[in-house]
Amino acid sequence: MINKDVVIIGGGAAGLAAAVACRDKGIEDILIIERESALGGILKQCIHDGFGLIKFQHSYTGPEYAQKYVDQVEKQEIAYLLDSMVIDITSQKVLTVVNKSGLKKYKAKSIILAMGCRERTRGAIGIPGTRPTGIYTAGVAQNLINIHNYMIGKEVVILGSGDIGLIMARRLMLEGATIKMVLELLPYGSGLPRNFNQCLSDFDIPLYLNHTVVDIKGNKRVEAITMAEVDHNGKVILSTCQEVPCDTLLLSVGLIPENELSKMAGIQLDSLTGGALVDEYGQSTVKGIFACGNVLQVHDIVDNVSLEAEHIACGVEKYLSSFLKPKNDIAIEIGEGLRYVLPQRIQYLDDTVFSFRVKKPGKKKQIVFKNDNRIIKEKSFIRVNPAEMIRIKLTSSELSDIKHLKVELN
Amino acid sequence: MKKEFICIVCPNSCRITAEYNEQQIKHIEGAQCKKGEEFIKNEIKNPLRTFVGSVKCRNGDYQLVSVKTNKPIPKKYIKQVAQKTHELVVEAPVEIGQVIISDVLGQHADLVATRKVRKKVL
Ligand SMILES: Cc1cc2nc3c(=O)[nH]c(=O)nc-3n(C[C@H](O)[C@H](O)[C@H](O)COP(=O)(O)OP(=O)(O)OC[C@H]3O[C@@H](n4cnc5c(N)ncnc54)[C@H](O)[C@@H]3O)c2cc1C
Ligand code: SF4
Repeated sequence: MINKDVVIIGGGAAGLAAAVACRDKGIEDILIIERESALGGILKQCIHDGFGLIKFQHSYTGPEYAQKYVDQVEKQEIAYLLDSMVIDITSQKVLTVVNKSGLKKYKAKSIILAMGCRERTRGAIGIPGTRPTGIYTAGVAQNLINIHNYMIGKEVVILGSGDIGLIMARRLMLEGATIKMVLELLPYGSGLPRNFNQCLSDFDIPLYLNHTVVDIKGNKRVEAITMAEVDHNGKVILSTCQEVPCDTLLLSVGLIPENELSKMAGIQLDSLTGGALVDEYGQSTVKGIFACGNVLQVHDIVDNVSLEAEHIACGVEKYLSSFLKPKNDIAIEIGEGLRYVLPQRIQYLDDTVFSFRVKKPGKKKQIVFKNDNRIIKEKSFIRVNPAEMIRIKLTSSELSDIKHLKVELN
Repeated sequence: MKKEFICIVCPNSCRITAEYNEQQIKHIEGAQCKKGEEFIKNEIKNPLRTFVGSVKCRNGDYQLVSVKTNKPIPKKYIKQVAQKTHELVVEAPVEIGQVIISDVLGQHADLVATRKVRKKVL
């Protein structure tokens, strides 16, 4: 068994930023474990730009943003393993790792979970029909085209209007495919508004809201899909069914935090985020195990992933030097209009950034933090959108004498 | 006339309303910063976009090197730049920022690499 101060599972944006921040805080004995053959995570395949505007006031592509952190990891000589997969962790923080040289066990004082997320698949949303080839999740398609130089099809229908689907619509278009349409079940788009503009409108790709795919046809390869409108309860209106010939169906229907390992360690998960239940330092219900990035909550902007990871590194450092002592234990109450709030509880009453998403789009809204009936903080928004995560900081003085905390949207 | 735009310069995605005619822009509303106003001025006269794509790479640890224009170029040239990237093959190693096509289509922007590709170890 090899002892380590900090083991980081996953070398994507979250894991890399956490590693660099831990080293900046003076932690020497760090190990990043990554199952792929290069560091960078999902950023490696996100060759579009728009990364880094918050942190660096500059628009980088995904590989450029990742390289900034990889360079830091190399420069600071932070240890990492590639082609190595963590297959088990225990509540005692013992990790089992497999790679070509076999099986190894590590005992960590602290673990940072940074495993990212995976895509919802056709099974998870249950489209009936045959099972021909030509059905891809948008992220898999992105990987095939951008990393493996493999073109996935010629006539494409995209189901779901998440960011990856929108970005792929433009990419496929410029690579010579025809994008017939993007179908979205909800009455509003689920990606960032800027992506509707620069990926669909720019190329006259039609977007049908309140529409879905009800059937897939084809024996070997997809030959057509049947699209249909849904009513305001999400029920298919049969009279609107229409066949659309195509050879490819792309699914961009959401992401799920990858928490199989967290469950093995006995970490309690939040059914609203799909990630670990954490305190304000990203510490899970198993002391010493922290989480950040998409494994904790699905992020739309990588800058926030880096910021979250840097913040939890503060928690890890305090934990290792036994300074992480709870002052209180307040479970955050989620009020009207919000899908989730993170962290789910606060214990130290230090400066805390809360992040959350609204349930549906709205105009002229306020986010209100309340201790019983006393308003602690209020922030107004011209518009709110489920696609855009909101982050609001409360200072230690604002949190100083609270007994209870509720966040709501008015 | 009056039109609503979505600013694509940053993730804030501000909805900006502009009132304008052929000669001039009379009024801009809804931009949270100066860059948004600049964006609208271009959007009305000559919309600009950054091109992103990839180019085939020989003897590298990746088969493709991702590329972008280092400045936004007129939107109407985006498809032509994409066409150019399909015709090219570069040789590894490639560094981030390395110029792949200088002054692409005479639009005062270079097509540069955005991925580091090492030479493949055989
Ligand atoms: C397609 C797409 C487009 C996006 N576009 C933008 C954008 O335009 N602008 C923007 O700011 N943000 C964007 N984002 C968001 C942002 O890039 C991501 O949220 C961020 O990169 C996620 O980082 P992460 O480290 O949490 O996850 P990941 O990058 O997924 O990293 C997780 C890593 O953990 C590894 N791993 C998982 N399990 C194990 C295990 N058991 N053992 C070892 N290793 C393991 C994985 O291999 C992976 O490398 C986009 C995201 C996606 C998916
Ligand atoms: S106007 Fe400014 S803040 Fe708003 S989206 Fe454009 S660049 Fe961002």
